[in-house]
Amino acid sequence: MTPSHRTCDANEAVASVAYRLSEVIAIYPITPASPMGEHADAWSADARPNVWGGVPDVVEMQSEGGAAGAVHGALQSGALTTTFTASQGLLLMLPDLFKIAGELTPFCLHVAARAIATHALSIFGDHSDVMAARSTGMALLASGSAQEAQDLAAIGHAATLVARVPVLHFFDGFRTSHEITKVAPLDDDCLRALLDEDALRAHRARALDPDRPVLRGTSQNPDVFFQCREAAEPYYQAFPGALDRTMARFAELTGRRYRLFDYVGHPEADRVLVLMGSAAECAHETVLHLVGRGERVGVIKVRLFRPFSIAHFLAALPASVTHVSVLDRTKEPGAVADPLFQEVATALLEAVARGDRAALPKLAGGRYGLASKELTPAMLIAAFDEMRSDAPRRRFTLGIRDDLSGSSLEHDGELDIEPDDVTRAVFFGLGSDGTVSANKATIKIIGEETPLFAQGHFEYDSRKSGSTTISYLRFGPAPIRSTYRIRQAHLVAVHDPEMLERRDVLTVARPGAIFLLNTAIPVDQAWDSLPREVQAQLVEKRCRLFVIDGYGVAERAGLGRRINTVMQICFFALARVIPLDEAMAHVRASIEETWGRRGPEVVRRNVVALESALAELHEVPVPDHATAVRVRPSALSPQGGPAEPFVERVTRLLLEGRGDELPVSAFPPDGTWPTGTSRFEKRAIAREIPIWQPDLCVQCNFCSMICPHAAIQTKVFAPEAMEGAPASFRAVPERFDAALSGLMYAVQVAPEDCTGCGLCVEVCPAKDKLKPKRKALVSEPLAAHRDQERDAFGFFEQIDPAAPQLVALPIDKRTAAFRLPLFEFSGACAGCGETPYVRLLTQLFGDHLLVANATGCSSIYGGNLPTTPYTKDRHGRGPAWSNSLFEDNAEFGFGMRLGVDVRAHRARELVSRLSGKLPAELVEGLLGAGEGDAFYAARRSRVAEALGLLAGDGSREADELRECVNALVPRSVWIVGGDGWAYDIGYGGLDHVLASHRKVNVLVLDTEVYSNTGGQQSKATPLGAAAKFATAGKATRKKDLGLLAMSYGHVYVAQVGMQARSAHTVQALLEAERHPGPSLVIAHSPCIAHGYDLAHSASQQKRAIECGVWPLYRFDPARAQRGEAPLVLDSGKPRLDVSVYMENEARFRMVELRSPERYAMLVEAARAGVLQRQSLYEQLAGIHVPAEKQNG
Amino acid sequence: MADLATTWLGLSLPSPIVVSASPLSRDVDAIAAAVEAGAGAVVMYSLFEEQLAHEQMAAHRYLDARADSDAESRSFLPDVDVFSLDAEPYAQKLAALRKRVSVPVVASLNGTTPGGWTRYAKRLEDAGASALELNLYEVVTSPDEDGAALEKRQLDVVSAVASAALVPVTVKLSPWYSSVPAFVKRLAEAGAKGVTVFNRFYQPDVDLDALDVDRHVIPSTFAELPLRLHALALLSPTTRLSLGCTGGVHTGRDAAKAILCGAHVVQVASALLVHGPGHVAVLRDQLAAWLDEKGYRSSAEARGVLDLSSTPDPHAWERLNYARMLASWHGTPGTRQRW
Repeated sequence: MTPSHRTCDANEAVASVAYRLSEVIAIYPITPASPMGEHADAWSADARPNVWGGVPDVVEMQSEGGAAGAVHGALQSGALTTTFTASQGLLLMLPDLFKIAGELTPFCLHVAARAIATHALSIFGDHSDVMAARSTGMALLASGSAQEAQDLAAIGHAATLVARVPVLHFFDGFRTSHEITKVAPLDDDCLRALLDEDALRAHRARALDPDRPVLRGTSQNPDVFFQCREAAEPYYQAFPGALDRTMARFAELTGRRYRLFDYVGHPEADRVLVLMGSAAECAHETVLHLVGRGERVGVIKVRLFRPFSIAHFLAALPASVTHVSVLDRTKEPGAVADPLFQEVATALLEAVARGDRAALPKLAGGRYGLASKELTPAMLIAAFDEMRSDAPRRRFTLGIRDDLSGSSLEHDGELDIEPDDVTRAVFFGLGSDGTVSANKATIKIIGEETPLFAQGHFEYDSRKSGSTTISYLRFGPAPIRSTYRIRQAHLVAVHDPEMLERRDVLTVARPGAIFLLNTAIPVDQAWDSLPREVQAQLVEKRCRLFVIDGYGVAERAGLGRRINTVMQICFFALARVIPLDEAMAHVRASIEETWGRRGPEVVRRNVVALESALAELHEVPVPDHATAVRVRPSALSPQGGPAEPFVERVTRLLLEGRGDELPVSAFPPDGTWPTGTSRFEKRAIAREIPIWQPDLCVQCNFCSMICPHAAIQTKVFAPEAMEGAPASFRAVPERFDAALSGLMYAVQVAPEDCTGCGLCVEVCPAKDKLKPKRKALVSEPLAAHRDQERDAFGFFEQIDPAAPQLVALPIDKRTAAFRLPLFEFSGACAGCGETPYVRLLTQLFGDHLLVANATGCSSIYGGNLPTTPYTKDRHGRGPAWSNSLFEDNAEFGFGMRLGVDVRAHRARELVSRLSGKLPAELVEGLLGAGEGDAFYAARRSRVAEALGLLAGDGSREADELRECVNALVPRSVWIVGGDGWAYDIGYGGLDHVLASHRKVNVLVLDTEVYSNTGGQQSKATPLGAAAKFATAGKATRKKDLGLLAMSYGHVYVAQVGMQARSAHTVQALLEAERHPGPSLVIAHSPCIAHGYDLAHSASQQKRAIECGVWPLYRFDPARAQRGEAPLVLDSGKPRLDVSVYMENEARFRMVELRSPERYAMLVEAARAGVLQRQSLYEQLAGIHVPAEKQNG
Repeated sequence: MADLATTWLGLSLPSPIVVSASPLSRDVDAIAAAVEAGAGAVVMYSLFEEQLAHEQMAAHRYLDARADSDAESRSFLPDVDVFSLDAEPYAQKLAALRKRVSVPVVASLNGTTPGGWTRYAKRLEDAGASALELNLYEVVTSPDEDGAALEKRQLDVVSAVASAALVPVTVKLSPWYSSVPAFVKRLAEAGAKGVTVFNRFYQPDVDLDALDVDRHVIPSTFAELPLRLHALALLSPTTRLSLGCTGGVHTGRDAAKAILCGAHVVQVASALLVHGPGHVAVLRDQLAAWLDEKGYRSSAEARGVLDLSSTPDPHAWERLNYARMLASWHGTPGTRQRW
């Protein structure tokens, strides 16, 4: 029996409908639509049937373009087919959508609407993607809540079948796709009853079938094409009626009546807003509030945007309306107005022209909500107020302060219209502490076990380590339409006390609110531990303060830092939404349900935590005034050094969580952003940091080489540089390399940038002979060392890393580790296996490096605000970085090369032309090739010399040379991205770029899954591993990207693993850069998606290498020129069985647990694969090919 | 040929040679081959409650803790509820073994919590275990825990499992008890139907290069057999429990020694890991050949003929022997040395 209500988000609700009404589902992951595909995949893996009893075939494709192609084909062969996407994914589907619509194919596509990347990428919600699809011929159907999204999904699938116009059903990314609310589900009978059986038969009858052959996809000439397009017009004319009839049928089945345009408000309204999506819910709430105050206002919620039915629109619009404001959640620069406005305006004009309406209302168009920008009732009230002003603005924006174009409407920032009977709670948690999961469980308990309505909305910052989450929970007796953040919370919970030091958490507290703080500080010292700002707000708002040592409770229960259960029951105890004993029972049942299926241990420990939590919850009296002297530290750490004005003005506010307050004029208009700002953000997220023991250190630099965050660094320097060192700074004489003798050596941790991953301690080879537990790096509590090590790191940073003796040495794994990292303190996961490669790249080539970065983890930790980890050296030089797209990165980097070459070529030409004015030796020095630090230093000084000599030259050539002379310093262009890009979506472009002779380098950070979107399989996923879309374990081999590249013959190819073999990686990167043509370096990148403690990634990678799963090699075409075999196998014959490697990662182990037989078969296949590839490589390594003739 | 049939834990076995708890039993085909070669029963590898708990917590730490932590990914591996990290995989393997072979399959269990012992025992019984072997494997590291408390806890476990289980329960012991016979007597009172001597503790070595503990597992050698023979000889006359010998049996003649000292079954693992599961046939034939050579009609007839009560010289099994053996080191004629 279908339960009367369940709590879920729109992604799940929509996927449930789409899955049950489909036979084929072809997908590709993209935020925020990925969960729809993942649900479908999981259900299919569990053999859950659709409404006809079959199990849908769910397939992951190599791109959204591929998914759309597969969808098109499946539809043409008669299968009921669906897919899910968003943003760039939708753009890649456009060509097929035109085809599918042009062929009048019943099909419903579900889009979690998201901003399209323009000046920047954003994963958040707006309508710029669906509006880019409005010319495809797809019907555009909008939902504003999870309930609507579920219902309109069903209506969309049913209507398209009848009307043959394909439907693009959309709902707002994150606000609707991820917001959890109470939903009345649709059972299979209802879905079946909604579908028209005749239409279904007709769809199948149109399938391509050799028994009754037809042809589609002709190429047409001017004589017929136009008429054929118009032949489809009646279907578009009929669609609104068909949809309305489906909605009526749906109402018969469920009691929920939707219309093409739903009007809410005063029956004789004078002012009406028109909008669609989740904001219509907020407008609904606002309108009821205003009507309650006696205002004659209303809102039209647009369900069907295209085909836009003028008749239905006019029917929904009260005749009394004198002012209409249309709100668009997209920006079409240069357009007369944004798309919904244009449609509404045209409809009204035609209505007046036809005489359906007597007069044209005053029309205005507003823009709001780009990339999930807040839209509150106060902002909508400002829009209503504007309509009745004497001279209403015809174009405006809501939710921002536009001091540049003056478009924005002012609103009352204090206004809050939420009813008192809605309990509101805001939780500040850490990504890793389980806060969001606990809140989801809480919503489920209240939503499904009580008559109350519930809403949960979750925000995450962009870091992958130490990330902050904010949960907004509402519970009330009526449906909740508040699609905006809570502004007046009854309860504010802070699950990590460090947050009090970073941001204002109490602004959201209403007077008399309960403030719950998780802190290890004893109860009697808790008040004194609070910063003055927090105390002052608690006093001013008359809050009640409760504290609990949640970490202590969790630790004692054997749960580490997972405080979810502890804090969850504290919430129930304080919020009193339901009686506490009921809450205890429900939480206990929820623990059983959530964790029980995997075994009793997690349940047992959580129950211990649950039962012991409340005894540790204490109220702390709040005095009548603030007593603390200590104030919250500046968000911009002085450790970062002097900050540019932009950083002071903008970055500071972003770090304080106040980015919404910044006006338009604060920002660059083109997305350009300064580098080197991660150093201002001292997050101090490690519990323990490595402390150097100089007496044991063997000075190997393993620690600084493996650190994913450049948070432990090593330097050699002259003893004089020690002058003025703080007492905490330690250095010892260099003793590793005789060539550096006389210098001092130091290992230094950046205590507030370290994530505490433990990799450096793990790989440290030096042990105390008397106490082998003590290594040359020892993990110690951050709190005990923070101040001293901060001072020491501050001193360490100002020491010149380039001692002359060091610069004279060749670059190897040790000297490379001494070079200045120009990629530091990123937000990547603790223990990230990708970032050490990126850091090393900047150490080798950073001051002349251009990076083209594919979208993915590396673009997120590389370029996601608020701060940027790519940085500059003391001369102000450093990597210049850009992210274009996911799919085009190889081409993008290739283009960078073309641009760099053009400028260099022009500069050389100009030097030649001006050679009469410059010394011959200088000209020669400006034009020759070279490599290495000395070459770059010499080239830069020659450039400076040339500029000096030409200073007084007013000729055109000299002017032009001054502009491009820096291009004579060769640029190193690196194309960086993950396996999802290189193996799948970007492979075509990568292949093309490698096939060229241009000098571009490609670094593939191969985590063997789509890491950023949550571990979906790619063609790099190894045989036998479980991944999303390969739950049972991938049955095909990993694509051999290196071998494919080798087949060209002219491409330098290397496969590396720097966590275990850094010397090889350094060598390969240097050879790749030296190679005159394209190069490809495939880097083994341990990832949290592999399912093990990444502190052990070095030894696990060693296993991968030694068992032959990840052979190390270098294929250097230069060797062929020397008459040698171009391929060198660097890791020898496999010495371990593949099972030794596989049994150490959860991605393989879970396959074994699901099916030992299948696992045994996959291990055998993996074993065979290793042997076959080894044999192939060994033969290749013995092949001597004739050298190519060098033709210049 | 001598009759090799024996009765162990009330179960009739075609042969006293039993596959001991080892990784071999992870491979159903290998076990089938061992049975084909004449193994009388199979003891499965041990289910360690501690290991299950450890893996469940590891999954919690590395999978669950990643869930709901990031805007772009709900989790990083497929839905973690699709697999069980509890006794299910073991129970399934047990059921598969039971289905495949005709001889009894004994489940081996090492618990850590009182509830865990009984819960898992029940689950293994439900999965078709012919008997349960309780692997009383405990490493005491605290000076505050004395032997009496430990023995009491172990007896409580045996009692709880034996009263809950319908199938016979046998106990695999370590040699480190002050009085093995007394403890075995109390095991019998607690409801055990058999005892197996002795557990081969995981005995880590030292890695001199890495200055660390080497977790390498070393296979048993014949040198480990005399300790077992001695215990069997002492237990055989004093207990009615079924006796098993495990550790150090590498040949059919080794098996014959254990039987002479009172073993109902001899359990072998290392020899099979080295020579393959088919090696059971070699052991069986060697045992039968020796019985034939000595004129025993059955292995049952030979059982216990050299135990403490039957041996011509009981002092040979007693402590006094220690002094004599040391004396013999200096070349007393007649003593046999095997080094």
